[in-house]
Formats: sequence, structure tokens, C-alpha cells
Amino acid sequence: MSNGINALVLCGYGLNCDIETAHALELAGANARRVHINSVIDGSVNLADFQLMAFVGGFSWGDDHGAGVIQAVRMKKNAGDKILKFVADGNLVMGICNGFQTIVNLGLLPGFDGNYQDRSVALTFNDCGNFRDDWVHLQINEETPCVFTRGVSRIELPIRHGEGKFVAADSVLSRLIRENQVVCRYARADGSPADGGFPDNPNGSMHDIAGICDPTGRIFGLMPHPEAFNHPTNHPDWPQTKERTGRGEATAPGFPVTGIRMFENALNYFQ
Amino acid sequence: MAHRLEITLKPELFDAEGEGICKKAAAYFNLPVEGVRTVQVLTIDTDLSPGQPEIVRTEIFTNPVTQISSYDPLPLEFDWCVWVGYRPGVRDNPGSTAVEAIQDVLEIQFPEDADVYTSRRYCITGPELARADVELIAQELLSNDIIQQVRVFSKSEWDPKAGIGLIIPRVHLNHTPTVTTIPIDSDETLKRISDERNLALNVNDIPVIRSYFMEPAVRADRKQIGLSDPTDVELEYISQARSDHCNHNTFQGLFRYTDLDTGQNDVVDNLFDTFIKQPTLSLKKKKDWVVSVLWDNAGVGRFDDTHYYVITGETHNSPSNMEAYGGAITGIVGVYRDPLGTGLGSRLVMGSYGFCVGPRDYKGDLKPRLHPRRLLDGIIEGVRDGGNKSGIPTTFGQVIFDDGYMGKCLVYVTAVGIMPAKVVEKPAELKTTNPGDRVIMCGGRVGKDGIHGVTASSETFSEHTPAGHVQIGDPYTQKKMHDFLLEARDAGLIQFITDNGGGGLSSSVGESARYSNGCEVWIDRVPLKYSGLDQWEIWVSESQERMTVAVKAEDVDRFMALSEKHAVESTVIGKYTDSGKLHLTYDGHTCAYVNMDLLQSGFPQWEFDAEWRSPEHRGLHEPVLDEPSDYRRLLCDLLSRPNIASKEWIIRQYDHEVQGGSVIKPLVGPERDMNSDATVLRPVLSEKRGVVFAQAMLPMYSAIDAWHMTSCTIDEAVRRMIAVGGDPDHIGGVDNFCWPSIQYDPKKNPDGKFKAAQLVRSCRALADTCLAYEIPLLSGKDSMYVDGQLPGRYGETHKVSALESLQFSTIGVIPDIEQTVTMDVKMPGDLVYFLGRTRNELGASEYYEHFGYTGSNVPTVRHEAFIKTYRALYQAIGRGVVASAHGIYRGGLAVHLAMIAMGGNLGLAVDIAKVPAESLRTDHLLFSETPGRFLVTVAPENGMDFESLFDPEQCACIGKVTDTAVLDVCRGLKPFISVPVPDLKSAWKKPFGGLV
Repeated sequence: MSNGINALVLCGYGLNCDIETAHALELAGANARRVHINSVIDGSVNLADFQLMAFVGGFSWGDDHGAGVIQAVRMKKNAGDKILKFVADGNLVMGICNGFQTIVNLGLLPGFDGNYQDRSVALTFNDCGNFRDDWVHLQINEETPCVFTRGVSRIELPIRHGEGKFVAADSVLSRLIRENQVVCRYARADGSPADGGFPDNPNGSMHDIAGICDPTGRIFGLMPHPEAFNHPTNHPDWPQTKERTGRGEATAPGFPVTGIRMFENALNYFQ
Repeated sequence: MAHRLEITLKPELFDAEGEGICKKAAAYFNLPVEGVRTVQVLTIDTDLSPGQPEIVRTEIFTNPVTQISSYDPLPLEFDWCVWVGYRPGVRDNPGSTAVEAIQDVLEIQFPEDADVYTSRRYCITGPELARADVELIAQELLSNDIIQQVRVFSKSEWDPKAGIGLIIPRVHLNHTPTVTTIPIDSDETLKRISDERNLALNVNDIPVIRSYFMEPAVRADRKQIGLSDPTDVELEYISQARSDHCNHNTFQGLFRYTDLDTGQNDVVDNLFDTFIKQPTLSLKKKKDWVVSVLWDNAGVGRFDDTHYYVITGETHNSPSNMEAYGGAITGIVGVYRDPLGTGLGSRLVMGSYGFCVGPRDYKGDLKPRLHPRRLLDGIIEGVRDGGNKSGIPTTFGQVIFDDGYMGKCLVYVTAVGIMPAKVVEKPAELKTTNPGDRVIMCGGRVGKDGIHGVTASSETFSEHTPAGHVQIGDPYTQKKMHDFLLEARDAGLIQFITDNGGGGLSSSVGESARYSNGCEVWIDRVPLKYSGLDQWEIWVSESQERMTVAVKAEDVDRFMALSEKHAVESTVIGKYTDSGKLHLTYDGHTCAYVNMDLLQSGFPQWEFDAEWRSPEHRGLHEPVLDEPSDYRRLLCDLLSRPNIASKEWIIRQYDHEVQGGSVIKPLVGPERDMNSDATVLRPVLSEKRGVVFAQAMLPMYSAIDAWHMTSCTIDEAVRRMIAVGGDPDHIGGVDNFCWPSIQYDPKKNPDGKFKAAQLVRSCRALADTCLAYEIPLLSGKDSMYVDGQLPGRYGETHKVSALESLQFSTIGVIPDIEQTVTMDVKMPGDLVYFLGRTRNELGASEYYEHFGYTGSNVPTVRHEAFIKTYRALYQAIGRGVVASAHGIYRGGLAVHLAMIAMGGNLGLAVDIAKVPAESLRTDHLLFSETPGRFLVTVAPENGMDFESLFDPEQCACIGKVTDTAVLDVCRGLKPFISVPVPDLKSAWKKPFGGLV
């Protein structure tokens, strides 16, 4: 059931969440196409044919020189203008995990004052000193212009990264907060702020920031993986929930909110 | 001129790596390190024009938000500075990606000899630290001298202008490649040369090799193309192919087995044929889901009508023992090439691990190359980077601590892939090479790395093991290649594909050329990391991340174009022929010309004497041990034993959810911290079918009898699958043996005959159990020589042999993932059922081990009764009446009652008098490790329905789930354990809970 929206999912050079991101977009109703980075660079695939571009998770170029750094350098150098035009044309960009790291290094985020080339925020090594796979609670800022999170106030998603600590200068942070560009923050199970506490805030991100958007809300980056919550059985509590539901207990409110909701929101933007 | 760029985090930012070093220095060595700041160093060894270095610095390597950098040494404060860089020729993955980035940004091409070398500088503060302390930190935490070089600077020695200096670990071989002809005038000469060149030829093979090269017809053939006696290339080829690692000589050997108790003898001709191949072939007839076994790089089973799954296992013990990180990452990245090289190629969907090391807190006198703690740290990190960077979820694993692994550690790795049933209308599980097909090598380049790795792992570890076989896997290069090859497969461009693992091209080309019956390889075309390699080195090098592919001549251009799109290096290095010859040339000159059938015939079978003595006759007996009274403390202490305790810190470092199909994760329960019995995933996201996967290892039972070690291990792996809802009619197995040397030598291996008997018994049990459970062995692996020579306190050395070890993997397919269950108890009020029967089987149990005993009553598998229970449980889970299910494994009933209570964070009230059992003492009931047992919880209203499925002798309701979060165990009217669940959990997490 396609709604005519074409989504480009980057792949190649060590990216590794392309298949499930394409699947999630398809579930949400898009025509998703996995496209090699080099096909964007050499123009054999034209960005103008797409309305959404997903920078996905993985270890691009091995992430040896800072996560997403070389991907951003290569894309900026070889396809920077195309990407800027894609953004200027009113399309959507999503950066998940390594994709978030990349679009931050490209400067697509935070995109203050329409400047999509400045690096002013960063994602650096987790304070815990290691790669970590865990599920986190996210509190969504309901005032944000972000189109991907409309109607969602809380969500649980997996994180899987070694460099997810969100860092920026105080002035940048306060502007992000003030202008509601902070889309989601790590929270405790009850929804209260994680307040830097490990493992609710799994990486030591400043202000518990897990994801931000640009001022238009059309560019969204986050460390957690919505595409990895594409089925109720992805959620770690599904066996307990299934058992409770089977015994006639009402399902916990809001469960399951799968990660697909974010992709559906993106497609609905074009309706 | 080289440029040295230093990069570090801004001083106000937390340095997590530095903090980790501080913590380890304190915890491991009690050293007062106050702070560590890390500096990355890039030594760019190429000429750049003015302005370019600054572009490189600002546009690529410095994050303006987080980092500062400089081409002069960064002026960081320290008391000591330690520099660590790679030795020449060691794989430097970040160096390679740096070259890519610099070339792109500057629009330049690096000349042949130019490169980027990465290294690290650690600025350590701690005014109390002495040089020896810092050297210890450098040696034990920051480097491994096999692959790295280190320099230590005190504050006063540091020249703030020169810094570390310019260190360029470029490989300079300065050698002209030469083919050497080897004289074979006598067996002694060939033996001597074999020793000198580290060929590790078996003495019995030498006459066969000589007679081949002396045969007149062969000599006449060779004369025509200008060869006489064998060349070094040829002998290396034969040596690789005949090594135990490649040829499995031990498993194909002849065993004369004597039972010394009864005097009975029998002969087993070929363990592999008798106990693995024959049973598997007979089961294949019964199981239509077995698609392809026993010939390819991995076994293939049916997932559904349009997809097959692919599975295999490997070990990487010797290299990991030398260089834990490099060995382990090479191991996991290596095993991932097997499914990729199975049939026409499969996509990797899952990996798992098994680590066996000495005690993490070992404080004894033996001095292994790497302390077990450090070894384990390195292994964990290697598998972490290898798995995570490959984008393949690592969903399962075991860690076992035992003194026997001090001699050599074990690193098991297992890989699962998925392939379409058809590729462009052709069956995807089949492949062949045809005359005229091109031989294409894809992926990495060839260097000296890994040369003689195969022969080294076929020998006991000693000081003389060549360090050259230590490598560092490169998951990035391989991931690119993986994506490329799957696209090439789907375009129908691949005729044959196999990986370059042990033996390198020698084995991948040698084996693939058997199908067409010949090949011609132009060795000079093989792309090299650096010049100066001899022809034989190119031929046998084990440089990683390479696949060998057969492509039709007319498809080569399309194949190469795809390769270029994916930024993968591919090179036509020869063609397949039907000449009956393996023909290698270098610059047009023949350097090897060998009959293709040489390796198939004429070599003598290895022979072993195997002598068995029963445990009773070896003096094993049950301990004289009275019943304890403080069960609460005993249970908590057992939970804190390293082999039982939580190892969450490892599991969380492993991405176990990438690819988005995770259903049952390795950690389950509301607190997501309990070990799942098995894992379940959806490899095809659009479907609700799932793959169930589990593994088990119980090497401790080998101390009594490897027969029961084997059958109990298989039973546990099966039970784990059944516990989550796996189908007893679809269980594929993978056997992965790691055994100490079984070659008897009165001085060096006096108990070799006993270990050989253990192997025969283990293989018999394997066949016996697999036939009973109907498990075709989809794949398998054996690694012998798990022994080491360790220096002791007084300059003496000790031979340390591992327990006879088997890791067994089970895999199955379930039609509906939502029918699966987890081990955590779900609801207060649920009934707790015990399935199976408990016997006095505490031999080699965790309980006995806790007191230092072995005992003799080893746990025994009773297939017939067990299978009935497994089928009934499968039915019960299918009916949806099971809320939780968990096998009773190592540690016995009490430990696993604790596990399910901790799993649900709920209490249990259980009466063990109701447990179906022989008449047993309470401690025996609680800690016996009888296999075949489960704990299951069921909603009260489903109790009758559940019970109706089981033999009442094998099923009893023993209590219920409570909402008090206390584990209450009584026997009849006598309560004897009452422990709050949080206390159990803190005991269980005590040993490793502080690790991240």
C-alpha cells in the first residue's frame, strides 16, 4: 500500500541498517529504495526523484575517525550541493544513529538560520566507555516542529552505539532548547528526565538529548533506532505484554507504539 | 615528507577511554593513576603541498565541537607519556580509511609507498607512578608486543617540540621474489627442509610426496614446462592442504580403541565418516528441510519455500591466545565469510560466540602470555568490533572459566546466513566451476600476514610459534565486499564462490578448481600490500577479507563494474581449466604444476591408539560430604560463581538487534537482565517465521567421561531451543570440537591415548545422541592441540591441557514468532511445574566444583523419556498455555529456580518434595545436574490442560509464583530457603556487575 512517496535509503561503505530502514519505510507506506552512496555521488540515482532521504545506521568507513565523520566529508565533497538542494526543495531528511552522526557532521543539523553547512553539535564517545545495546525511554517534546514525532509523547526504542553522547556549546544548547529543536530526550521508565543517570541516559548526552531537528522540523536526527521497532516482538517486554493481554488484562497504555509511527508521520507530512 | 597530526578531545570533555584505563590500572594493578588523556596520532607519510595539511586537519580529522589538533605535539600535561603504534605490516584499519578520505578531499592519489599510520599517545598523570608502573600499564593495558611497539617518556624526557618523533612503520622487504627448488633426494632431506621452513609436514606423508615427484610420468610432464624437483610453492601448497586444520586428519584417522577395564578392542576407521557423515546422511533422508550438507563452507536448511538458512561454526584459538583482540576479530569476521561463500552466497543474519579462558582473577604461579583477564578483555572487544562493524547481530554466547584454558584459550564463533532458494532460476545452494571461468580474487590485498597460520594451529603453542600468523580482521572492508557480492549474486554473475581462510588462495583456488578439474593462476597479478613477497607466500598467505569467485568470461566486465561501484578491489588472477593440473605462473614462468588429484589419493591415514579406563578404575568416586544447613548462603555463593554469574557486561557490548528482526533477545525479563535459553529472530522481516538458535558447552563433565559431556551438551542445546518454543522435528546441529592433543608420546603427552579414547567416546555419543534426537549435523569443526607450555615460578615449564570441549549449536525454524516464550515467570499465582526427573547426578557439577570435588555420578541423557517430554512441551507452548519455560542447566534446580524468579522479579513458593526424583538428599535434589529437565509456569486455569500432555512420572506442580519477590523453598513442611529475589540478583551480579 504505497502512497506514492519515494524514500531513498543510503547503503554501502559499512552502513548496515539499510534493509530494516527500507522495510520500516515500506511498512509506513513509502516506496523505499536502497541506494549506494556512490550512486548518489555519480548521479546515477537522482535525488530529485525522492521526497525522503534516510541516512542510516552502521559503521561508515569503519567510523575510525569519529562516527560519521568520513561519510560526511565524502558526501559533502561529492554530493553536498545535491543534498542542500534536496533540503531546499522542501523534502525530508532523517538521520538514524550513524546517519545522525553523519548529518550533524554535514551540518544539516542543527541548521540554525537556514545554514545547513555548519558543524555546531557533535556526537562523541559514550561516557560509559563502551558500545552499548539497550532499550531506552524517550520523552518527546510536544512543542517541537519536528514532523516525524507528531502525536507521539513517549516511545521506547533500542540504542546501539559507542558514540552517542550529544555535545554542544552552552549557547547552542540553549538555542536548541529554546527553539524546540530538541525533539527527544532520554527518560526514566516513568517518563521523568533521565537527568544524565546511566543507563537511562545511556551515553552521557548533555541535557539527555537523544534527537534534534532543524528549525523547519523536516530534518530529524536521533541516536535510537525507530526502524528496529518495526514489529511488536522487537520490544523487550512483548512476552510479558502478550501474557497479560491473553489473561484479559488491558494492555499498558500506549503500548505498543512501534517505531513505524515516526516513518508514518514523515509520509503523512506530504498528504 | 611525513606529517604527524595529533588530535585530542577538548580539555573540558570527559575522556571515556582514559577513564577506563585509570579504572583498570587501579583495579588490576592497584596503581595510583590520577588521569589519562588520549591523543590520536596520524602519521601521513606522503608529500603534501602547502595548505593541504591544514585542509586535511580541519576538514577531515578535527571535529570543531569536540576536538583540538595540531601538527606539533599537543601540549598536554602529564607525568608520563606512553606512545603505542603498530609494528610494520600489521593491519591498520583507521590508517586505510584515512587514506581514502585524504585522497578524496585533496583529489590526489597516494603513490605506491605512501600511507597513513595511526597510533596513540597516552598522557598519564600520577606523580606517584614509577617507570616500572608505567611500563606495566603500557604492557598490560595499552599494547601487545606482538603487533605493537611502545615508547615511554617521562616528563623530563619529553621534548615538547619533537614529541614522539616521526615513526613510520612502513614495510621494507627489499627482496626479489624467488622460487626455490627443493631437493628430495631422501626422506631425511625433505623432513629437514620441512622443519626448517616450518612446513609441518607429517612424517608419514613425506614418502608419498617424494614418490609423486619422482614418478617418471610426472617428471616427464614437469620437464616439458621447465620444472624438475618440487618448488617451494608446490610443497607449501601440499603442506597447507594436508594440515590437520584443512584436512581434518585426526577426525579422518584410524583409532584402535581398547577398553582397559574389559580388555575389549575395536577399531574405528574415520571418526568423521562413521559418526558424523553417516548419521547425517541417514537423517537427511528423513528430514526434507535439510538442503545441503557435508561439502560446502556451511550447511543449508530450509527456512521457507523461498529462503534457506545457512549455518557454520569456527574457532580461532591459537591466534587469540597470542593477540586476543586481533585473533578474536579475525575469527568472527572470518566465520562470516563461510555463509557468504556457501552455495552462491548468503547474507549474514546472526552470530554467536563461546569464550573459554583461565580464571579471570587468576593469581597463581603460571605465566601465560596474556593473563586470562586481559585475554578475555581482548577477546570480548575483538568479537564486539568484528560483529558490530559487520552489521550482524551477536545474539548468543557462553563464557567458561577453567584452569585448563590457561594453556590455550578457546574462541568459538558461529555464523548464520540466509539465502534465496533460487538465484536467477538456479538453485542457490549449488555451484560449480567450469573451464574458461575466470578466477577472481575480491576484497583485501595480500601481505605476509597469516602465513603458516594453518600449520601453527595444528601445533601446540610454544615460544617458537611464529607471531606472523596474528592478524587483525577488517570488518569494514568485508562489509563492503559482502554487500557487493550479494548484488553480484542476485545479478546472476557468480558461478562459484568460496572464502580465503586457512591456506589462502592455495586452498580456495585449489578446492574450487576440483570442480572444473584444473586451473591456471597468474600469481603476479595478485594485488599485494607491499612488494617483495615470494611466490609461495602469495599463494598461501592468509590475509583476510578475501573471497575467490568464479565468473564466466563474458560476465567479467559487469562483475568488475559492480565491484567498482561498491569500492571493492577485485582482480582476475587466472582461469579454471580441465587440464587436470593446478598450474601457477609468475611473470609467465611456471612455479607450480601439480596433478589435481594428488591430494585425494595415496596419503596415509593418521593412526591413534585410544585407551579407555572407566571413572571407577581411574579412582574417581563420590565425595564424602554431609548435607549442608545454610542453604541460603550456599545458593547465593553458587550464583556468584564465575561460570554461573551474570555476564551482562559482555552481552550489552554486542549489537544483538541490528537488522531489526530481534524477537527473543539474549537478555530477557522485565529488567532485561536474565539470560535467555535461546534466541529467536526474524531473518526475513516481512514474514512471521523465525529462526531459533541455541548453544551449550559443558566441558566440566569431560573430567569424568567425554561421552556424557557430549550427550549432555547436545541435550542442553536441544532443551534450550525447546524452552522457547522450538520444533523438535526441526533441529539442525553444529558440532565444534576443541580437544587437547591425542598423539601419544611417553614424555610429551603421556595421557594421549586416554584423550584419544575420550575423543572416540565423544564422537560415538555425538552419533548416538544426534540419531536419537534426529539432529542432522549441518556443519562442524574440529580444532585439536588445545595445549600450552606455561612457565612457572622457578623457571620450569608446565604443559597445560584444556578439558575436552565441545560447543554444540542448535538451529530451527518456527512458523510463528509470536508463539515463543521466555524464561521469566510472568504472573503471581501461576503454577510452577517441574518437568523431567531428578537423579543422583552431581558428578562434575557446579556444586561439587564449589567444594573442589569431581565425584563420579556424571549426568546421563535418557533420550527416550526426554524426547517425549520435549514433544509434549512443544505442544503445550503451541497451545499457548505456557507462560514461561526454562531448562534446568548448570547449577541444578535451586540455581534455576532463582533464575526464573529473578527473571520475573517475582517470588516463588516451591515444595521440592513434589519434584519427581529418586529418593535424594535435599542438597542432591537441589544441585543435581540431571539433564532433560525444565521449569515451566502456567496460569492456574490452564494447569489441567498442561498436565494432560505429560507423563505424570515426568511432570509435577511444585508450587506457585508469588508477588512477594522472595524465593521460598521447602521440603514438605520444612522450609529451608527464603531469600529475597533482590538478594539473589545482587549475588548473581556480584562478580562482574561493575563492568560495563
